[in-house]
Amino acid sequence: MSTLSRMSLRIRVRPLRSASAPGVETTLGAVVVVLFALVALAAPLLAPYDPHAFSGQPLERPSPAHPLGTNDAGQDILSELLYGARISLAAGLGAALGTVALGLLVGAIAGYAGGPLDLLLMRLVDVMLTLPRLPFLILLAAFLGSGLVQTMTIISLLFWPATARVIRAQVQSQRQRGYVRMARNFGAGTGYVLRRHILPSIAPLIAFGLVAAAGRAVAMEAGLAFLGLGDPTAKSWGLMMRFALNLPGLLLTDRWLWWLLPPGLCITLLILALSYLGMGLEERWQPRLRRR
Amino acid sequence: MTEPLLSVQDLHVHFLAEPADGRGAGAVRAVDGVSFDLAAGQALAIVGETGSGKTSIGRALLGLHPPGSTWGSIRLAGLELVGSAEAEWRPLRWRRIAMAVQSAGTAFDPVYRIGEQIAEPMREHLGLPADEAATRAGALARRVGLEARHLRAYPHQLSGGEKQRAMLAMALSCEPEVLIVDEPTSGQDVLSRAQLLDLLRQVRVETGLCLILISHDLAAAAQVAERVAVLYAGKLVEVGTAREVLEQPRHPYTWGLLNAYPNMTTARDLRGIRGHSPDPSDPPSGCRFHPRCTQAVDLCRQAKPPLVEIGGRLIACHLGGLQTLLQASDLRKAFSSNGKGEVVTAVRGVSLEVYEGEVVALVGETGSGKTTLGRLLVGLLDADSGHVVFEGQDLAALNGRERKALRRRIQFVAQDPFDAISPRLTVAAIVREPLDVQRFGSVPERAKKVRDALRAVGLPAEPPFLERRAHELSGGQLQRVAIARALVLDPKMIVADEPVSMLDASEQAKVINLLKEVQSERGMGLLLVSHDLALVRKVADRILVMRQGQVVEGGPASRVVTRPQHEYTHALLQAAPALGWEVGQV
Amino acid sequence: MRARITSYLVTLWVVLTLNFLLPRLLPGDPLAALLDPQSSDYVFDAEVRAALEACYGLDRPLLVQYGAYLRGAVTGDLGQSIRLNEPVGELLTGHLPWTLLLTGSALGLASLVGLLGGAEAAWRRGSAADRLLTAVSVVTSNAPVYFLGMMLLIVFGAELGWFPLAGGRTPFSHYDSIPAATADVVKHLVLPALTLTLSLLGIQFLLVRNNMVAILGEDFMLVARAKGLKPARLKWRHALRNTLLPFVAHLAAQAGLAITGAVFIETLFQYPGMGRLIFEAVGARDYPVIQGVFLLVAIVVLTANLLADWLNTRLDPRLAEEVSR
Repeated sequence: MSTLSRMSLRIRVRPLRSASAPGVETTLGAVVVVLFALVALAAPLLAPYDPHAFSGQPLERPSPAHPLGTNDAGQDILSELLYGARISLAAGLGAALGTVALGLLVGAIAGYAGGPLDLLLMRLVDVMLTLPRLPFLILLAAFLGSGLVQTMTIISLLFWPATARVIRAQVQSQRQRGYVRMARNFGAGTGYVLRRHILPSIAPLIAFGLVAAAGRAVAMEAGLAFLGLGDPTAKSWGLMMRFALNLPGLLLTDRWLWWLLPPGLCITLLILALSYLGMGLEERWQPRLRRR
Repeated sequence: MTEPLLSVQDLHVHFLAEPADGRGAGAVRAVDGVSFDLAAGQALAIVGETGSGKTSIGRALLGLHPPGSTWGSIRLAGLELVGSAEAEWRPLRWRRIAMAVQSAGTAFDPVYRIGEQIAEPMREHLGLPADEAATRAGALARRVGLEARHLRAYPHQLSGGEKQRAMLAMALSCEPEVLIVDEPTSGQDVLSRAQLLDLLRQVRVETGLCLILISHDLAAAAQVAERVAVLYAGKLVEVGTAREVLEQPRHPYTWGLLNAYPNMTTARDLRGIRGHSPDPSDPPSGCRFHPRCTQAVDLCRQAKPPLVEIGGRLIACHLGGLQTLLQASDLRKAFSSNGKGEVVTAVRGVSLEVYEGEVVALVGETGSGKTTLGRLLVGLLDADSGHVVFEGQDLAALNGRERKALRRRIQFVAQDPFDAISPRLTVAAIVREPLDVQRFGSVPERAKKVRDALRAVGLPAEPPFLERRAHELSGGQLQRVAIARALVLDPKMIVADEPVSMLDASEQAKVINLLKEVQSERGMGLLLVSHDLALVRKVADRILVMRQGQVVEGGPASRVVTRPQHEYTHALLQAAPALGWEVGQV
Repeated sequence: MRARITSYLVTLWVVLTLNFLLPRLLPGDPLAALLDPQSSDYVFDAEVRAALEACYGLDRPLLVQYGAYLRGAVTGDLGQSIRLNEPVGELLTGHLPWTLLLTGSALGLASLVGLLGGAEAAWRRGSAADRLLTAVSVVTSNAPVYFLGMMLLIVFGAELGWFPLAGGRTPFSHYDSIPAATADVVKHLVLPALTLTLSLLGIQFLLVRNNMVAILGEDFMLVARAKGLKPARLKWRHALRNTLLPFVAHLAAQAGLAITGAVFIETLFQYPGMGRLIFEAVGARDYPVIQGVFLLVAIVVLTANLLADWLNTRLDPRLAEEVSR
């Protein structure tokens, strides 16, 4: 392992739990995520209009008919916002699954196999982690084309190395534990060791990894859409912001208040909620070493 | 007498426990009322297991605990330190009280050179310029056996032992009046441990500073300090001179600790203290040692024992330390043999004690009077003169009923089980006999006691075996049945007269280990009468050597075996069975 | 250090090769990428395509193409921009300074404030100020940078009118003096740089704070305290000095994050840097420019990595020894 990667293991970015009651943020995060999921599922019931339908005049101000007004094409912004939750969550879920699946595969193989294969895979992880993420993402997106599936694929391709490294470290440490060596001593095979000792030990990492990856994927999807690299037909929050900002002089009127701010707030809230949930999960499953 | 340099009175250190496992925060009573004085130049060893609070005492002496967690009094040359603000502590630290911490491996800042770190306090406290501090650091390093290259090195480049030395050099840098050394020998191999202890002794001699050694290492304590304070669960249980405390421990905990401590000079097996160390956030009521103490009485559960002076040392025990179970003074017994009026004096003025939980071996040849003495002690024979006092009662002064009651407390195991066990009775009846005699409980209760006693000696407690008779059993089984019979009344003391001499070697080992195990678990006193020195040294705490009716030598088993004083003991040792060269050369 | 340089060269080679292979591996051929079917000048005619292929050297064997590509990359010849019909190399050199100005000032500011603030928060861990700063940092480090930027833009640009809404300098302006030019550039820099600083600061702060809290619990800090050192010496010379190690190790990752942030910020503020360039290139499917930006940014980030590594070997004697061995 290179020095850089060894150093990064020493780095702790997540805040240590302060003296406050445990899990308040975690619970809050979970509640917000569930709320967004419900909104996404119930979007057709909640939304006053089809987000693609031209249900009003362009650039209407908020009114009882259009609580958040309409966009420059005369589509209902509230409906766009509600349907946008579907895109964000779908991208988050899909990309998170892809990221963790890839990371699990590579990490478990590297950690369990060891030797030259491990070395090779970890070098690949090192290289991937050094690459500037967004430009690489843009490059991939430019050539792979736009669309939700492509976006999820691209995000997965980019985010797996971090997960792989964590999984590999865990698998490797488990493999060298006394009880695994004892199990082998009792004649246990690879399958047994994997099933009985290694998988249970990485299960919490997978859960935490999924939530963390979902948070990053939601942010990235919105970012790609914002940059115009997403599906141009999908009603996503990032795209809403992009179209809003494309309107000349948007910021000089108060139009941003109902057009730009709601998707921005939604995306921020969802990412924060996922992030708090992830921190809570991580802390729960990897409690700090007790003080000496 | 002048005021001591360092006076610690009723020191408490309580922490708020981190609610790590989700439970509410509770106070951890790391140190709970500890007092000791130390004059200039004295050395005190604070000995205790992990978690006993000894490191917390060291840190309290430097004011390193969070504000509000320490109270009581710490006076350094009359200056009260407890309650001082951080800014008041700072000039004292290292300048007057310095500490070499336990984990020297991680005690140095990894990014600065060792020399710089040794010089740092001299620059801070003595205001020395960099070059002068460096020169003095060099001198200090030489004193602890390090070289200039060690000073230029970074911490990760030094070995554990070198870091310990550097730590010591750093602690000495400002010539403190009090030096605290926390576990200097933990994690060290035997040789560097010895070197380090030498170094500590040498430093003491050269500087005349006041030393506090914090350690779980009893031998280290004895080698460096004159006085030893034994700490258990945040409280001192015994304080005295190192020699007294370690050779003749009086507190049951010290006694247990010594038994658990590996020692090259004794052949005896190690024995742990029963039970577990207490949870410091929820210590036991009363005496904190009572759940593990074999002699605990109701008072021990209810009240905290004060640390009081008993026989020249301080002991915190309601019973005044280890109880004397059996005490004999000046016992004499003569028999008129063969009816011709010729008098054979079997026992001539023997005095001895057996303490709670102690195994005493009475060793001598046939005819030395040891069997007679054994019978005198349990009251099977009456002495011509002298007294036997068991648990405070003089045997001679007891009436019949009292004697019968006494039988529950002291039991006898005879040499020959074939003789001591009726061939007509079944195993169940044999073991039940004392219960029947004492009219103990109901019939089912007696049956249960019988089964428990049989299990305790490793025999089956099921019907087919219970119905066996003496002739169906082997010698070893029979002796076990005899021991079970002795145990069935839960006695406090067993006198065993040659309990294994009739058995094969392999059975001997098993039965003697069994006796030891039962004794240790129940905290009984055991007087082992035997001719076999090689055997008893495996289990005995003390050995008394008897010849011609007198005790000619007595002392800790290790000393009697390795450094016999009396020529008769020497002869016994020479005669002890040895496989080839082994024992004969001891 | 040599091993590390080698490893970075390997990474650089991977970047170059990816840049070369991606258009050739992905669906469609490089020409399809060059000439998008959706764009107006899509070439249907097979003959014209063949001519174009010959022009771009696509009819030659892959290895020969690869060699030519590498030679071009080394000499700075990254092809022509389709949109602007200018050499990609010149476009890059025109835009790079703006991005370096933006990311450099933001990184510097965030590092300084993060180090000092994080150290103070760790020193007073558990205090109200610490908890507030930690909570705020979690929010700012998680909020999308473009959202932060929008908020700043709305408040300080649109509502208060203190700073210009867009651009790197006032359009069509001619400056009388260097100070005037500098003032104009700085005025345009403030909001974008502030946005990026805020976004990076949260992570920097948490990183410094949490690592320093851990370091404060180390044995050597207890010993330093027992040595009677002054609080300032404990805090700065021992605790922060050791916190610098993980901080610097993470600086390289910060550089990558700063670049990511810059892409969004330059898009939002229409700031004339590399982010803006790649954004416009994406819009126009100007693939040579996208590839060029990726390559240059990769080199910048790799250099930052190398610098951070080198700095850490200077700061951490344990690493220094490993290197010399």
